[in-house]
Amino acid sequence: MADDGKWSGDVLARLSGAKKRYGDTVALDGLDLEVRRGELLAVLGPNGAGKTTAIGLLLGLQEPDAGDVELFGRSPHDLAARRGVGVMMQEVALPDALQVRDLVSMTSAYYPDPLSLEETLAQAGVEKLARRPYIKLSGGQKRQAQFALAICGRPQLIFLDEPTTGLDVTARETMWATLRRIVAGGASIVLTTHYIEEAEALADRVVVMAKGRGIAEGTVRDIRDLVVRKRIDCATVLDVAVIEAWPGIITTIREGIRVSITATDAEGVVRRLLDGDPALTDLEVRRAGLSEAFTELTQEAAE
Amino acid sequence: MTDAVVPPMPLIRVVRAYFSDAKYESLRLLRTPAFSVPILAMPILFYSFFGIMLAGRAGGGGQLANNLFVGWTVYGVMGPGLFGFGILVAVERNMGLMTFKRALPMPTGSYLAAKLMMAFVFAVVVMALLTIVGITIGHVTLPPMTLVRVAAIMSLGVIPACAVGLFIGAWAPASSAAAIANIVYLGMAFLSGLFFPLSGVMEKIRPIWPTYHLSQLARASAGMKSEGSPLVHLAILAALSAILVLLAARKLARRG
Repeated sequence: MADDGKWSGDVLARLSGAKKRYGDTVALDGLDLEVRRGELLAVLGPNGAGKTTAIGLLLGLQEPDAGDVELFGRSPHDLAARRGVGVMMQEVALPDALQVRDLVSMTSAYYPDPLSLEETLAQAGVEKLARRPYIKLSGGQKRQAQFALAICGRPQLIFLDEPTTGLDVTARETMWATLRRIVAGGASIVLTTHYIEEAEALADRVVVMAKGRGIAEGTVRDIRDLVVRKRIDCATVLDVAVIEAWPGIITTIREGIRVSITATDAEGVVRRLLDGDPALTDLEVRRAGLSEAFTELTQEAAE
Repeated sequence: MTDAVVPPMPLIRVVRAYFSDAKYESLRLLRTPAFSVPILAMPILFYSFFGIMLAGRAGGGGQLANNLFVGWTVYGVMGPGLFGFGILVAVERNMGLMTFKRALPMPTGSYLAAKLMMAFVFAVVVMALLTIVGITIGHVTLPPMTLVRVAAIMSLGVIPACAVGLFIGAWAPASSAAAIANIVYLGMAFLSGLFFPLSGVMEKIRPIWPTYHLSQLARASAGMKSEGSPLVHLAILAALSAILVLLAARKLARRG
């Protein structure tokens, strides 16, 4: 990175072989992660997978025990690098006697070329909260205010750690729309989430983490394709024990007359179902959603 | 897409960031009654009650009134720095605000500079209130220019107060920082003879308290009889502040 503050690389942030442990707990176990220009990267993983630690390293909040951290080609401790970054953390207590507009003004003062107060409030959808003291906001409104702080500096890279937790549907739609607009404008976003539909709706690329490592990476479709599993639902009189004996069956669950089957060989199972029960109705076969794919991947990593 | 991902930060904006931090730190504490009321009202109440009512009953005339006034200004200007740093640093260390601010491109030192400015702002208000009360009902007979000089010298007292506070804030657990700051605050005020004259050992060891040196500086600036040389008092306060700040910085640098 040249000293004039310009950065022309296509990787805005990078973790290489990052390791981090807290006492006996391994938070990161050699994680490689790249954030590319103009993409929305969703980082998925169960609690304790190391998502928040990864973001903490990229922001310079923690030091890796091993491996390298780069932000705009610099150390994250470099103020110039962090001037390109906006952040919304999971647990943060802001000075709660200040009004939302004060918090925005205070935060945007740290950036070289911030949005105006009005633009920030409008993009975050918090115009109506501008004069409310932070302490008087509901949990969801606090998240919206924190989102305003993340975008106010016109950053090229935004880290959002579980941004939509506690938001109502309207607020979440507003945030999603703003995120899409920001990415369309050329900035990059790293989003950790446990809402699978959030990744499906927004992400250009998904990284699935488990136990401190990246276990899968690709587009939403790539991640789903990694898992051959399909789900078959139908109303049948066939006995669960009979179905379970077939090849390719992973689980079978009966609820009343309905049976839900997950299987690797959907076609074979459907053939046997129809042969075994000509009166079978309500047959439905679906590719596993990201949610199921995600569960399977993280379970495999845990085994 | 240009390649100027991070435009350079003009110096003027860096300076503005410091000022904006100082402004919002002061604003939020003014709006926090749990902080602003004790800091602003307690010195006035104590001074009115002990310094004016009781002393008035004892009957001592102008000299006593001036002595008491100067003693209470020391008490008043120590509060904002001691509590502003002592309690807030300890609490903010634990509640994620510092983490958030470290993630932001906040200029180096702005966190502490903002608190220092806040302490100055509060100290100036406390001094102004004490002076008004002193002149109107406290029988203070110091000439206006002397009062201004006392106020100017006393606002320097914010610095050692902040140093003591920062030391407490860096080392004390958040849950007990407020109690520790209160004990240190009142303890130093009593033990340095601000409120009433001491005798014996307590009088001899007064020079270990920063408040003693500050009060001697205040007396000297008011043209009253003072002990020791003002330059020595200044040097001791400066050295003490530097040591406390260094010890605090050592703890804070450990990212605790």
